[in-house]
Parts: sequence; structure tokens; C-alpha cells
Amino acid sequence: MNGGATMAALPAADQTLCDDVAAASGERRRRAVAKAITLLESTRADHRLRADALLAALPVPAEPALRVGISGVPGVGKSTFIETLGLELIAKGHRVAVLAVDPSSSLSGGSILGDKTRMERLSVHERAFVRPSPSGGTLGGVAAATREAIRVVEAAGHDVVIVETVGVGQSEAAVAGMTDLFLLMQLPNAGDDLQAIKKGVLELADLVVVNKADLDPAAAARAVGQLESAMQLSHGREGETARPRVLATSAIDPPQVRAVWHAAAAWAAERRASGAIARRRQSQARAWLQERIDAGLAERFRAHPAVRGLWPETLAAVDAGRLPVSVAARTLLRAFTGPPGADNSQN
Amino acid sequence: MRIVGDIIEYTAKRMPKFNSISISGYHIQEAGANQALELALTLADGREYVRTAIAKGLNVDAFAGRLSFFFGIGMNFYLEIAKLRAARSLWHRLMQEFRPKEAKSSMLRTHCQTSGWSLTAQDPYNNVVRTTIEAMAAVFGGTQSLHTNALDEAIALPTEFSARIARNTQLVIQEETHITSIVDPWAGSYAMETLTQQMADAAWTIIDEVEAMGGMTKAVQSGWAKLKIEASAAEKQARIDSGLDTIVGVNKYKLDEEASIDTLAIDNHAVRDNQVARLKALRAARNATGVKAALAALSECAKTGSGNLLDLTVQAMRLRATVGEVSDALEAAWGRHRADTQKVSGVYAAAYDSAEGWDQLKREIAAFAEEEGRRPRVMIAKLGQDGHDRGAKVVASAFADLGFDVDIGPLFQTAEECARQAIENDVHAVGVSTLAAGHMTLVPAIIESLRAQGGGDIVVFVGGVVPPQDYAFLYEHGVKGIYGPGTPIPASAKDVLEQIRQAVAAH
Repeated sequence: MNGGATMAALPAADQTLCDDVAAASGERRRRAVAKAITLLESTRADHRLRADALLAALPVPAEPALRVGISGVPGVGKSTFIETLGLELIAKGHRVAVLAVDPSSSLSGGSILGDKTRMERLSVHERAFVRPSPSGGTLGGVAAATREAIRVVEAAGHDVVIVETVGVGQSEAAVAGMTDLFLLMQLPNAGDDLQAIKKGVLELADLVVVNKADLDPAAAARAVGQLESAMQLSHGREGETARPRVLATSAIDPPQVRAVWHAAAAWAAERRASGAIARRRQSQARAWLQERIDAGLAERFRAHPAVRGLWPETLAAVDAGRLPVSVAARTLLRAFTGPPGADNSQN
Repeated sequence: MRIVGDIIEYTAKRMPKFNSISISGYHIQEAGANQALELALTLADGREYVRTAIAKGLNVDAFAGRLSFFFGIGMNFYLEIAKLRAARSLWHRLMQEFRPKEAKSSMLRTHCQTSGWSLTAQDPYNNVVRTTIEAMAAVFGGTQSLHTNALDEAIALPTEFSARIARNTQLVIQEETHITSIVDPWAGSYAMETLTQQMADAAWTIIDEVEAMGGMTKAVQSGWAKLKIEASAAEKQARIDSGLDTIVGVNKYKLDEEASIDTLAIDNHAVRDNQVARLKALRAARNATGVKAALAALSECAKTGSGNLLDLTVQAMRLRATVGEVSDALEAAWGRHRADTQKVSGVYAAAYDSAEGWDQLKREIAAFAEEEGRRPRVMIAKLGQDGHDRGAKVVASAFADLGFDVDIGPLFQTAEECARQAIENDVHAVGVSTLAAGHMTLVPAIIESLRAQGGGDIVVFVGGVVPPQDYAFLYEHGVKGIYGPGTPIPASAKDVLEQIRQAVAAH
């Protein structure tokens, strides 16, 4: 226990879960990690409270794990790359966890989660833990749960945690905001499509990998050059002075994937020694804290009885142009906080 | 493509009368493609093969006459005839690109097989009629050879009896009816000529699409072809489940009580033991160093690209290398193909027309998600050596449309691996899709593995081909639901949800 100020003792079942995550081995631990992640992902309010208590009780590893985010467009070869990389890392004695975030949600339907079919050997390896998460409709929700799932797999002794996401929008920023190293994968024809890579995404990258170099080495070399010159024009990632390296690789060829990992590990070792990774984690935690507070405030604001009472007429007045938006916002916020000195602890 | 090129090269040089390759559309139709899609993808495949062989330096007339096609023939009688007629004309058109001198090089020759997918587990004697009608469509369409399926193949592997009836279906058509004494008997029929033209036009449009993508290899690699087929399959299933398409005995004119029929029982353990013993004897008797060298040469050829793969395979097999060893030697050089599992969603729901029950079920699933804090999560697994994943895909797509979260497991998993993944993903239920008669050993094995790994609360259900006499055995071993061919997906989904509810409540 880390003595969290307001945390009650865990109920017996959750204490067992916590102990199993941290101290058990084999199938018992695997099941506990799986159940803990399900608890984090739950949308039920009582589950949320239990999840918070569990998170507070989980031990933090003495030696921090390396958190790697991997993103790229569909078909770029993320899963193949992770499969090869994961097996290489396991061979070196690491324990690897893969958390896959899939932001492609339909409105009312569930998700189809096929990540394991594309990581055939890694997903059945006993030293690996691979968990795809359903989108559940809101990206924020998945990202929140994944951020916390990282802590669970770390408490279970996984020293490399890979967070995979399809590059189709905001999910890259969310994943870059919860990992130590963000690796962006590109196709060799990226030169043609460079316009299509959002500049903002390139600016998140710590390492860029051009995959499928085996298909057309010349095109891959061209893409590396084009990406390098494109990066000259961008700011690079906040807090970083050096430009990210761009490497060509072939995800199906273990020696080439090893070379990428070598570059990534050197990058991480240097920044760990300089304290840059610790600083990045701090700023991520602060941003996360701010985000949670903002989300909590927004939720309370919408649920506040006085706000709800005023909402329809205020909205109608704004719609009709009778009330300036700034005045409407101030009125509603005042209803939320109440007159100075009043008790507003309805929630 | 490398393998195809080497096969055509070797057979053209060393065995010129041999039908070098069978360019198959059967699996494409069985996987769910409609006739035009099957036709287009098959012909586009053929075109890619011819290009590969020519790129190897072969003269088109040296091999094109020995290419042979393979189409599936389903229940849409007129369209299947039109498909075969359109196939000949389109193949001739496609071949002109290669400027053959021999007329034979542009002629399409084909084998046909009646559809296995159209067979039903319900009231199975109806399948004799279905197979007969399909066989006649193939013959009217001018097939060169024919395979008729047995009436019990939706339930089990065929018995002597059912295989005999299937063979006799062909003999009756061939020897009693005079149907075969006229070439292309539908020629000149206004309706048939129109259908043939429409079929050819529809297929040609798709062929052009494939060409624009850069050819069939690219279309397959990108997952486009598979996605097209799966969308077509989901749409067809929804038409059946909603009653728009009739299947006698399945969604209309159902029997109150199904009588069971005698089917072939296979003892998987005995088959395996027997084969292991045979392999052992074979390995003891052959020249081990010779085999090893031959396989190494094959791997080397695969790696470097110099030499002919089939030539070296023949040499290795003459020394009694096994099929498994030969494919291992190739795998050592190339790795293993992994089918990219893409997601088709929305197609089933869009075509399923019985809105009422569907929406009701969706609401129930949404209510479950609200109560439990997450959607019901189901893993659809294929176990053992069974790569038939059409059913699994359609079910996954429909379940997701309904609101389940659906995990798809890799093909060819062991029971233990499947159980581990189910636990790791913390699913509520595992659905085992079985079409290759392995259920009697694999299904109990997965239930056992789940228990051993602490996942005894996970509901197990089975879909696919299961003979009725095996139901009791599977239920005894803890299976909660069995859904044979023809079970409407919403009905199975409702049952699965109910079983999950009970399991959650018991916990």
C-alpha cells in the first residue's frame, strides 16, 4: 500500500485480485490481470470506485518499465512488427505486454477485435500478455482505461509495455500522451502521401519507421529521405532538441526489427539517464490530472440541478439570438457555483 | 505466385499433358461470393497466373491449354448456367492480351462441384434434390467434369450410402436422361442469353476494378478481395435469416421433429494414432541424410529463387519426404502466411429485414452493457486443422452489429491456447466454430483447459456442423448451446446472451 490519503481498505475479493496481479505467477496471474483490466474498463460507477482503490493499492515496479506507443495507418504492419519485436524481446528475457486500442467504433454496435489473429505467436506466448480493448463508443474512455491498464501490467512484472493504436485521428495523441517513446510507422510510398500525414502526428514521433522495405528497398530509401526533410521543417516533439531518427525496416525480418529496437533502446537509455523520461512522465501525469478534473467538472456541471433547471430556457434564448453566449455561460456557471458562501455540495 | 510460376514451368516442360493448375472459384463462392464476384475474381486469378508464367519466359501456347478452372455451383439455377457461359467468353477475351497462336490456349476448361454450403442439416434428404439441380446447372453450363456432394455433408463426413447416391446422381444425368447429348442447349434462349450478357458485364466491371488495383495479388494482399466476399456472405445470411430467401426445411416448411440419420463416426484419436505410426515406420525406413539434403536444397531454392520448386519437391518426395516436411522447408525460407482479419460490420444488420426481433435484441444487449458496465464479450474460435472460417466471420460480424464485443482468435489454435486467450481478454463466452469433425475431442478439451486455467465461468457454445447424436455428449461436457447450420443468427445470439446472463448471475 502506498498510503493514499483517502483510500479505504480493499474488499477481500479485490485484495485477492491485487495480490494475484502482483505476486502470483502463471495462469493465476494472467487471469487476475485480465479481470483487473475489465474492472478499469467498466462504465459502472461502483466498479470505478473499486478500480480506483485497486490502482492505488497496486505496487509500482522498482525498475520502471519502458512504455512504447506504436501507431500507423491500417495496413502499415503494426501487428506484424509487434509480433516480431515482442518475440525478440522475450528471447532477450523481457516480459512484454501489448495493449491494443481500437478507436474505430460504430455508433451502437460492438467491436470486432482481431488483433490476436495478427500476432499469432506472440499472443500465445506465456511471457506475453496481449489485450485488445473495445472502443466502447468514446475514445476518451478507452484511452483512460488503457492508461490505467499500463499500471496493471507493470505491477504484474511486464517490463516492456507496448500500446498499439490505429492512426486514424486523435488516438495517436492519446497514446503519445501515455508512453515514454512514441514510434510512428509509415509505408514506403509515404512520399506520395506525405501531404496526408498530419503534421501534428509527425511532431509526436520519437522514432519513425518505414516498414515493408523488403518490397521495394529503393522506395523505402526515398521515403526515409523525404520524411527526414519533412521533419527538418517541423518543430519536433516538445522538450526534445534532436530530430527523431527515421529508419527503414521489414517487420517480417527479425534482424531488421532488432536494429530498430536497438535504436529505440539507445534513445530510451539516454533519456532515462538524463531524466528526460521522468520529466515526460511527470508532465503526462499532470496533463492527465488536469484532464480528469476537467472531465469531472463538466460532468458535475451538467448534472447540477440548478444548471439543469436553467438549461432549456437559456439554450432557447441563445438559439434565438436573444442572449449573448458569454452572458449565458456566465449565468449557468453562476448557477453551478451558487452565490458566494452558499452550500453547493449537492453532488 | 512464385510457386504457381514454377509449377506451370515444370509441368509445361516435363509433363505437358498434365493439367498444371486448377484455378479455383469454388472456395470463393463457398466463402460467400455471389456468382459475378466468384467469376470475376477467378478469371482475374487466371490472368495473373498467365502473366506470371510468361514473365518466367514461357511461351503462352506451351501452357495455356493445360490451365483448368474450378467453379462452385449453387442453387441459383439460371445464374449458374449463365456464369459458366459467360466464363468462356470472358476468358477468351482476357487471353487475347497474350496473343496466343493456338485456339486451345483461349478455351476455358472447367471442373465444377455442387455447393457444400447449400446443403442443410435440417431434413437432410432434401439435399439429394439440391445436389441434382446444381449438377444439372453445371452440365447445362457445359462443365468438363463434375463433383456431386453427398446428402449428409452438412452433418458429417459422408457414409458409403450417401456417397453412392451422390455418384449415382451423375450417372443418372449422364446415362439415363440424354441431357448430355446436346452442346450448350440453352443457346438462343432469350432469357439465358440476356443473363449471360449481364453476368459477363458485371464480372468485367469487377475485373477492371482488380486491374486498376494492380492485379489479383494486390487485391488479395490488401484484403480487398476478402472484404468483398465477406460483405456478400453477410448479406446473404441476413436474407436467409429474415426469410427473404427461402431454404426449405430451414426457414420455411420446417419439420416439427427432425429424425436422426445414420452418419459416419470418426474416432479422431484412432486416426491420429494410426497416422503417427505410419509416419514413424516411414521415417525409420527411408534414407534420412538424403531426405535432409533434399529438403535443404528446397529451402535454398525458396530463398535464392534459383531452381524450380516443384522439381526439387518431386525429388524430395521420391526420397519419401512428407508433405509436412516439404511445407516446413518452404516455411523456413518464407515464413507463414497470415490471413489479415478485416472487419465487415453493418452489412448483416443492413440486409436483415426482420427489424422487430433484431431491435429488441439490441435493446437487451444495451441493457446488459448498462447493468454490467461493459458489453457482452465473446470470442469466436476456430480450433485444430480447420480453416473454414466463413461461418465464424459471418457470426462475428452479426454479433458485433447486435452489440457484442467480438474477439476473433487465430486459425488453427490448440484448445489450450484458445482458453488462454479467452481468459486474457476476459470474455464472457467462447463460441467454437467447427466444420471439420473435430468437435468431439476439441470442444471437451477447451472446456477442460478453461477450467484448468481458472476460466470455468466462461460459457462455451458450438456452431457449425455437429451430428445430432453428438449433442448429448457435448452438453454433458458442459457446452451451453449448439447451433447447427441454418440456425438464424439472432436466435443463437439471444440464447448466448441468456447463457451469459445466467453465468454472470451465478457468479
